[in-house]
Amino acid sequence: MAEKYTYSPEIPEVFRCRVPLHGTRQAFLMNGKLREEEGEDSLLKIEAGSPLGFNLNVTKGTILPDSLQIITVRDSENTEPISYTNNLSFGAMSESNILLCSHTLSMDEFKTDSEMNINVYEGARVNIVVMQNEHNRSLHKVRFNVNLAKDSYIRINIVSLHGGMLENEIEARLTGEGATCELNGIYLVDGTQEIHTTVNMHHLVPRCTSRQLFKGILDDESKALFFGKIKVSQDAQKTEAYQANHNLLLSRKAKVYAQPQLEIYADDVKCSHGATSGRLDEMALFYMRSRGIGAEEAKILQQLAFVYAVLEKIYNEELRQRLLDLVEARLRGEFGHCTNCSMNCC
Amino acid sequence: MLEIKGLHASIEGKEILKGIDFSVKAGEIHAIMGPNGSGKSTLSAVLAGRDHFDVTAGEVMYEGFDLLKLSPEDRARNGIFLGFQYPVEIPGVSNVNFMKTAINEKRKHMNLPPLTAAEFLKLMREKMEVVEMDKSFSSRGVNVGFSGGEKKRNEIFQMAMLEPKLAILDETDSGLDIDALRIVAAGVNKLKKPDNAFIIITHYQRLLDYIVPDIVHILYDGRIIKTAGKELALEVESRGYDWLINP
Repeated sequence: MAEKYTYSPEIPEVFRCRVPLHGTRQAFLMNGKLREEEGEDSLLKIEAGSPLGFNLNVTKGTILPDSLQIITVRDSENTEPISYTNNLSFGAMSESNILLCSHTLSMDEFKTDSEMNINVYEGARVNIVVMQNEHNRSLHKVRFNVNLAKDSYIRINIVSLHGGMLENEIEARLTGEGATCELNGIYLVDGTQEIHTTVNMHHLVPRCTSRQLFKGILDDESKALFFGKIKVSQDAQKTEAYQANHNLLLSRKAKVYAQPQLEIYADDVKCSHGATSGRLDEMALFYMRSRGIGAEEAKILQQLAFVYAVLEKIYNEELRQRLLDLVEARLRGEFGHCTNCSMNCC
Repeated sequence: MLEIKGLHASIEGKEILKGIDFSVKAGEIHAIMGPNGSGKSTLSAVLAGRDHFDVTAGEVMYEGFDLLKLSPEDRARNGIFLGFQYPVEIPGVSNVNFMKTAINEKRKHMNLPPLTAAEFLKLMREKMEVVEMDKSFSSRGVNVGFSGGEKKRNEIFQMAMLEPKLAILDETDSGLDIDALRIVAAGVNKLKKPDNAFIIITHYQRLLDYIVPDIVHILYDGRIIKTAGKELALEVESRGYDWLINP
């Protein structure tokens, strides 16, 4: 499958991304500009947007055998603030697995503002994993606009490993009956890092399902904001909509602001939401220590256990393991020496 | 092996243990009985090192050194095991990984190399048989979705894996049906050796039909009010605690 692997020679040598998915096709978005060598692969059309961003079009009925990885990179070639729009279109009855990574490769200050328009047509199934690993001087805002047609399905898992200021905004519209939208995320913040998550889940028609699970671990003086709204329109009977946000605070100075909201205009629905914040469980720590596991190790195990419920929702087992390893390295504080890190240097 | 002298412990200023004295020799099984709230669980937690409690007076010598100075993990690495009344669920950490971490931390402490994967799996299989554990259990999260009986069996399994010198079982029999009780008791009996010892904390005499203690202590209001042989358990079963509390 190696021949399918595309690698642009202009990518700085420090960057290596080897997500262990066989046959993963890679495309790079360098400071917003698409760089991809022309492949033979015609199942998938990815084109540069104008002037920046990309357009991905998965045609009707296409079942992508492999994952597509799009790596968004900021480096010293362009340190100006940039903003761009990506359009992703998943044709009726198509099936796709997409991995979107973002990195910063030089210590400059970066400001990136991107919009991700995602249209999922009738009966299409889409899995998207977003992996964010940027340095502390990066401010990255991503706005996902998701439209779901009849009987379509999307699952987005966001893994925010590192970043100065990350803002993820998701606007999901369930516009066709029987559509399902699953949003999951974990965020790990420390130092003075900040992460904002905004979700507007809008059920417009009957018999749609949405599930959200966001979990965060905060240390030092970091901050997390979670604003989540489920809006069920008057016509959207038989809606099922769930939302949960749980936070683990490791320090007294870390702060979480959670604002879950339900706005329901239909009367035959199942909805729930909840937000919690707490500390490490003293009893569980003692349990592990009473088995001979050291205090520090017990804390790491408990943190891993806390976010596992989100990571286990990642569709691909290899990718899930890889991300689990990265999360573990992050929790063990092994990211400090490589702030302009790629996937592989820790 | 273990010598407790004048042990006082309190939580948030409230005294729970008000002077405990007893000692345990290798090869012995001690039972501690007593009504609710007498301090049984506090005693086990203090011995295992839970820092929730303040030891205000007294000493505990274990194998010749001051037990109270050790962290919970160092107590475990030196052969103390606490079987929990309410075993904790740890989703995301599989039983295999949990035990592998625990065993290898102990081996590191003893200056031994970590077990190879094959050695570890062999040990795991052997010990799972002791408590009649299903194979599927090893990949499941620690205690996640386990029934009460499975959780207690898991405690005995962990004990079998760690081979402690002194095992303290805190109400291991509570919430067990008769089959689970038999499996748990058989596990303890299989693990009993001349060089180890058990402290069994229990509410009921029932467990002691299966695990025969050498010495029975009655704990009441933070003090041991009576110590005798195994017949004391039977007497408590038929007469209750009242005759001991208000003689």
